[in-house]
Amino acid sequence: MDELKELIKQGKAEETEARVRELLQAGNDPQALLRDAMIPAMEEVGNLFQAGEYYLPEMLLAARAMQAGLEVLKPILAQHGAGFLGKVVMGTVQGDIHDIGKNLVTMTLEGAGMEVIDLGVDVSPERFVEAVREHKPLALGMSALLTTTMLSMKETIDALREAGLRDGVKVMVGGAAVRGEFAEEIGADFYGPDSVAARDYIRRILESAG
Amino acid sequence: MPEKIFKDHHDFEHLRRVIMRETTEGPVPIIELVADPEVMSTVTGMDFPAERALEIYYLGPNPTMEQLQLGLRLMDLSLAFSEKVGYDYVTMIPVVPIPRTEFLARENPQQEGKVRGWLDEHRGLIMNRDDLEAFPWPSPQEISLVAMDYAASKMPEGMKVMAVYTGIFEDLKRLMGFENMALKSVEEPELCGDVLERLAVLAEAAIDRCAAHPAVGAVFYAEDMGFNRGLMLSPRWMRQWVIPHLKRFAEACHRHGKPFLLHSCGQIDALMEDLIETVGIDARHSFQDNIEPVEEVYRKYHDRIAILGGVDVDLLARGTPEQVRRRTREILEACAPGGGFCMGSGNSLTNYIRMENYYAMLDETRKWNQEHGYL
Repeated sequence: MDELKELIKQGKAEETEARVRELLQAGNDPQALLRDAMIPAMEEVGNLFQAGEYYLPEMLLAARAMQAGLEVLKPILAQHGAGFLGKVVMGTVQGDIHDIGKNLVTMTLEGAGMEVIDLGVDVSPERFVEAVREHKPLALGMSALLTTTMLSMKETIDALREAGLRDGVKVMVGGAAVRGEFAEEIGADFYGPDSVAARDYIRRILESAG
Repeated sequence: MPEKIFKDHHDFEHLRRVIMRETTEGPVPIIELVADPEVMSTVTGMDFPAERALEIYYLGPNPTMEQLQLGLRLMDLSLAFSEKVGYDYVTMIPVVPIPRTEFLARENPQQEGKVRGWLDEHRGLIMNRDDLEAFPWPSPQEISLVAMDYAASKMPEGMKVMAVYTGIFEDLKRLMGFENMALKSVEEPELCGDVLERLAVLAEAAIDRCAAHPAVGAVFYAEDMGFNRGLMLSPRWMRQWVIPHLKRFAEACHRHGKPFLLHSCGQIDALMEDLIETVGIDARHSFQDNIEPVEEVYRKYHDRIAILGGVDVDLLARGTPEQVRRRTREILEACAPGGGFCMGSGNSLTNYIRMENYYAMLDETRKWNQEHGYL
């Protein structure tokens, strides 16, 4: 298990996938792999990023390794009926096709045991609303790079309200031009400067939900 | 609208002295790295197909006659813009015909009909070593300074050319795709290093020739190295693979006695000592309030380099003229008296700023200068 954790931290995707298979074949509980090795590995990666010891490449590599491991685990976990901790819908807003930040949040949340429905880039308010209606997530995360594209976040929040869905979902926003006061202004619940902040916010939602 | 918006003459020598911190006297100059064509068109009344601008800025090998004609129109637009506003320089770009990954264009839903070009973050023309070997690199002899020659024949008295060069790390991201580049930077750093070296040969030649050109007053080197919270890649990586090249470029520029200005977005504090001491930049440009307000940066570095611009683009886009005036004055109060400061946007004059806010920034700076006995 320690080796698996190290492989993820070092961003070794192929080795991670192989190690997960080995551990499963040796009879390890898939839930335990996730809980005791993979999630803690991504936790440490996030902390190293926040501490300025890891940079974007190291984060991307670790997230890729985590994904490789998850690909093996996911079908088995689904069979066992073992659920995720919660569900989050993510997307980059309409008119904007930047997705590295959004992908990092997605992978960090998955690394924290969440199921993430990633709608991709250039997502219209209508599509966000539709996804919230369909998936009933704990939270909706929107990303935007620019001052102008981020205005679409407000439209989405308004559309959620009109659809009667706003009270049932927390809305978090982020991206280069976004800041806390803007989040407040448009009626979002949370602004996060990076993926770790988003992860911690989701954890707080889970905790308060008991 | 007055004949000239900010001032009615051009004085590059004063701008140069301010950038080189040779004077604390005289008016606060204004400066921008880039103005989107829509902004220049609004100011000048001249038409330009804005959606074609990126293609012209990054002209590849074998341009068509139509592209060259558009290039000419863009140069005329830039000249007319600088003249109309009263900038002391006009920005021109040397043609370095590197094949570049195409931009992806998207219409902004908030601005009907206006598009922005985006880099593909995942794919580029050079994904691996084979791509690098097969890449049709131009030779330094293919670099053209036609824009500088053209501007030299058209510029009004007192104006000089600001030669804008897109940085090698920028081109590395563009050629390799950001995500691929980031992964290769750890898994195969020598590949990134080799691409950078090929780009640096061209950059050094272009900067050397630009700086030697009699019409050129300074080189504005645009190299985004950071994001909101820090550098994109580690300081150690940047010191090994990028900083030594930047030092070569600054030397090539300084060899001809011209200032070397750096534009970099993001939080780049971790590299500032390298940029000032090792590279020898003369000025830094690009500031965003939610990263670090320009006053803070000025306080830390103004005794060693000049600080350029600083009114947050978000404020220019979403604020009111009154807010922009207030913020412009705050910045002037903090940065103007000590010298080594030019007023301008925190990044560039994008097609989504409100024009009345741009004019408010200029007008407040003009007023400040008048109040201090200048203009």
